[in-house]
This record gives sequence, C-alpha cells and structure tokens, in this order.
Amino acid sequence: MEAILAVTSKLAAPFELRAMLAEVVSAAKQVLDADGGSVWLYEPDTDELVLEVATGVDPVRFPLGAGIAGACGRDRRLINVPDCYADPRFNPAVDKRSGYRTRCMLSLPLVDHKDVLVGVMQVLNKRDGVFDADDEVLALALAAQCAVALQRVRMTAALIEGEKLRQELEMARVVQMSTLPASMPRVPGYDVFGTCRPAGLTGGDTFDLALLEQGLLAVLGDATGHGIAPALSVTQMQAMLRMAFRLGADLETAFTQVNDQLADTLPDDRFITAFIGLLDVANHRIRFHSGGQGPILHYAAATATFTRYLPTSFPLAAMRITSLRPAVTIEMQPGDILLLLSDGIYEYCNAANEEFGEERAWQIVREHHGQSTARLSALLLEAVQAFARGAPQEDDMTVVLVKRHAGASASRTFARSFASIEAIFAFTAQFFEQAQVHGELLAPVDLVVEELFTNMVKYGAAADPGTEARIDMEAIDGGVQVTLIDRGVAPFDVTQAPDADVDRPIDERQPGGLGLHLIRRMVDSWRYEYRPQARESRVTFRKTLAGGQTPHNATTTGGT
Amino acid sequence: MMLAIDFGAAGVVVVNGRFDAAQCTAAQSFLDKVQGTVTLDCSRLEYISSAGLGVLLKTQKRLMASSGKLRLTGVNRHLQDIFQYSGFDQIFEIESAR
Repeated sequence: MEAILAVTSKLAAPFELRAMLAEVVSAAKQVLDADGGSVWLYEPDTDELVLEVATGVDPVRFPLGAGIAGACGRDRRLINVPDCYADPRFNPAVDKRSGYRTRCMLSLPLVDHKDVLVGVMQVLNKRDGVFDADDEVLALALAAQCAVALQRVRMTAALIEGEKLRQELEMARVVQMSTLPASMPRVPGYDVFGTCRPAGLTGGDTFDLALLEQGLLAVLGDATGHGIAPALSVTQMQAMLRMAFRLGADLETAFTQVNDQLADTLPDDRFITAFIGLLDVANHRIRFHSGGQGPILHYAAATATFTRYLPTSFPLAAMRITSLRPAVTIEMQPGDILLLLSDGIYEYCNAANEEFGEERAWQIVREHHGQSTARLSALLLEAVQAFARGAPQEDDMTVVLVKRHAGASASRTFARSFASIEAIFAFTAQFFEQAQVHGELLAPVDLVVEELFTNMVKYGAAADPGTEARIDMEAIDGGVQVTLIDRGVAPFDVTQAPDADVDRPIDERQPGGLGLHLIRRMVDSWRYEYRPQARESRVTFRKTLAGGQTPHNATTTGGT
Repeated sequence: MMLAIDFGAAGVVVVNGRFDAAQCTAAQSFLDKVQGTVTLDCSRLEYISSAGLGVLLKTQKRLMASSGKLRLTGVNRHLQDIFQYSGFDQIFEIESAR
C-alpha cells in the first residue's frame, strides 16, 4: 500500500504524457516486482490501441480486440497470462521487434472516472515466477491511479491547446481594435463621436469616422460569426473602404467594389452588415448605403422625433451586387443626430432574458440630445450596463453619433452705452434657451460679455459715431463661443492688457484691471483679432462645462 | 431684472437683482449713505460684475476708515466664485447661502 501511495503522489506531478507514462511503468515494475511494462493508449477515433511507451520498444498500433491487450481493453477485464507463448491470443510481433522475450503478463484496463476506456497497462515477467492473486489486486489499484492521471494529462493538453487558440484570437482582436479611429475628427458645425466596447473574445464590430475630401465618412460594421474570422473580416472591410475613398471613389463605387471584393474572397457563409455614409458638411446632407445594417436612426431636434431608416442592400460579401438601389439622403437640421448602434446594444440580454431594445435607446437620446455626443454615448452605454444588471456582454457594442450643432448661431448689434446691458443679457439668455446651452454657464458668460462690452463703451470713445457693437454667439460642444465686434476703432489687444493684483491690501486696491482678471478666470480660452480694413476689433472667447473654471473650493490666491 | 437696493428688517441692506455696470451709479449713491458695520443681504443678488465689485470696494474703504465694514450674507455659488477669483473674499466678511 505504501508503494501505491508513493506512486499516487508521483503520478500527481507530471503534466506531460510521456513523462507520466514512464512514471507509471516504472512504478508498476517496482510494485509488482516485474521486469518490464508498457501502457497502450486507446484512440477512440480509430478504435485502436497505440503503444506510446514501452521500455526500449517503438510505437505499435493494434485494433481494439486484437491480441491480449486488445481483449483486455474491449472486455475491460484484467487478464493474467502465466505463459504467453501458450496463449493463442498472444502476438509475438512486439517481441520480435524488441528482441525481448515475454514470459508471463498481467494486462489491466485503464478506465477513467466517467467509465471511458483510456488504455491498457501491461506488466511483464514477474522476477520470481508468475503474477498471483495479490499482484492482481495491487495492479488494479495502480491501474485506477494511472487512469486518473492519464485523464488529467489529456485535459491539460486540451487546455494548453485552448490557450494557444485564445492567444491567437486575442491578437486578432487587438488588430481589429487598433484600426478604429484613435481620435475623433473635428468637423466644422458638427460634433461626432464613435466608440467600440468589445465583448470578451467574440464579436466583429468596427466603425470609422474620418474627414475626407468627399465629406465626413461614417461607418458602422458588424461581421457575423465567432472566433477570429469576424475580427479579421471587419478589419479588412474597414481598410478597404478607407482605401477606396482615399482613392477618390464615390459612395456607390466604394460600396459596390468593396462588397464585390469581399464576396469573392470571404467564405460563402460569411457576411458583414455595414452602414457606410458620407456627410456633406457644407450642405448638411448625409448620403448612405447600408448593407443589412439597421436600424439607422435620425433624431430631428425640432420635432423631437425619430426617423428610422432601413438598409438599402443586403449585407456586404453575401453576393456580388448587380443592381444597387439609390442611396438614401438624410437632411441634418441644427441639433439633429444620426444614431448608429450595433446589435450588441439592441440585443444585450439581461438576466431575465429581455433585450435592451430600441425604445430604451430612443428615450436616452430624447432626454439627453442636448449633451455632447461623447456624453450621450457614455449615457447610452451606462444605460445598457444598468439594464443588464450583471448579465455578461455577449457581443461587441459600438456607438457612432453624428450631431449637427444646435442653434448654430445668433447675432445682434447694440448701442455703445451702459443702457444696452439689459438688452444684452436678454439676448444671451434667449440664445442659451434656444440653443439649450447649460444654464450654469449663463452667469459667467454674462460677466465676460459685460466686462468686454463696458470696456468698449469706456475706451471706444474714439469710435466712429453711430456704429454699434455686435455680439455673435455660437453653440459649441458643451458650451458657447462668443465674439464681441467693435467697428471703427484703433487696435487694442485686450487679451494682453495687464491684470489686477488681487492680493494687494484693500487701500491699495483699485477697480481697474479687475474685469480682465475675472475674464481670465472665467473663460476656457480667448483671443483677439484686428481687421485693419474695417478697423474692426474682435474678441472671441469660449466657455464650456468641461473647461476653465477653477473648482469652487480651490484657493485661488496666496493671501496677504 | 434691474437692481433694487434698500433697507430691510433690522437695518440690513437688501440687494436684489443684477449688479452690473448700468446699475452702479444708483447703487453707489445709496451705499454712500450707510454708516458703521453694515450687513448686505445678497440672497437675492443674482449677478455681479467688476463694476459692482468696484462699488462695494469703494464703500468698504470708506466704512473701514471709521472702524466700520460691510458684511455680505447669503452669497450664492456663482458670486462666491467671483469674490474668490477677484480676491475680494479677503476684503469682505462673506457668509455663503445655506
């Protein structure tokens, strides 16, 4: 029993098959005081026994059932043969090849804990006679240990194989993700954002947002299937599209040619659903083709309604295109949003097996359409996560948003007088309301406008009589950009004017320069521009929720 | 909304509305008349610009010369920012809005 336990602990260690079998054979020889031994492995695919290890013997194959080992494996019974050459089942071929003479032999079936045949162990030539009943008991105990160890080795091998596959997959996913835009293009008058949140190892989403000669390219693609293939095929599609457009192709040509190319090269059962659109930035029109990718949502800010567009074609790579329907055009009004979400979002299932669906996405856009696209995307993904309540992500989730700036701009002129201040505040408040700029920004914006305007009133005495000051306001991502224009004046760069020293004792403090100091604290950025022909001074500043303002609890001065 | 400035209960001066450059003259002439330690209730003051701060500074200097001062109460968050950015939080005793 001690010897068996020693063997058990030895067998617990090796994970490599040959080392394990060598261990088994040497243990069996020791425990049973035998001269030789071997382990035949059963291969279910061919229904054969294969001799992987025997001391000094090359591998041999046998059909299950042939010879003594075959009979032992087939019947799953121990066979004790005291004189091999007297047994008709004995096959002397192995002896012939090895030059070893087998006298007596104990054959044991190796059966795992699921009662599946793993192999056959044979112990040869007891040193002082033949194997007896005690040896049979010992051998059976050993065989049981051996079968478990064999099973473990096989599972480990399968795991290692799986790990290799996983690493290859991971590599493909890295490539897939690396082709996504690293930063969002800056599109005049638009706010665009795209992101892909990959599922663990499966999924084949891609997107693209790029400012090209043809306009803003917007792509959302989703390849079918699992494993490496979809990751590679969407990556291929994305690269082909970029290339086609860079070479000057129009929408129809790019769509058709990339489809046909993919149809020729991808396996027959593979396809990619993809939205491919081009935004004409100057005319605010998106023309698109969609190969099976939908729904395509257009949020109209003026009416707070959605228009849902269907695909114009079958998925890319499904087959060659012989006739393509006309592209669809979407008119983008101020505040409108093009919303592309992959089905990893719509079809995200929670624990109760409900899908996230379209309605929830619509609701979030309705509520938060005034936010920046980056924020809106984050809110959508947060909503999916909240909905899932811990249910795992099964597919890539991709968001592509194209939003035209709301309430693009407003402009008004004002008489150079302190009396205009009230009208100016009414103007800014109205613009904030109309363009849905965050109300928290109104007071600081008013302050900066007033400081700049009163400067114009005070120092613009030399201005041509009768000219008015103009204020332009434009909604930008997360805030506003304001320009104050003073005509008929000499150049004076207010952004370079000296600051007030806010740390001086009270009796040394003068109000002068304080306004400029406050402006510097309030704005994200400001700049001065002079146009000599019109003798025009322009001061432009930007104020957003994200930028500029020092936190409320920050110490802003050193103190005196 | 213009600026309204007047005495409230217990001699407190109540400012109400927007204290911008257009309101300075009226506000200054009112504040020129106050004496001693004066509490300015700012809980309905929505807005102040550097022009308004100038009026407060001038008043503070005059009062301090005769051992008086201005105390500001009910100051909202935006106003607190302005006072902090201008360093006026070191010049006035300021009690924020609750």
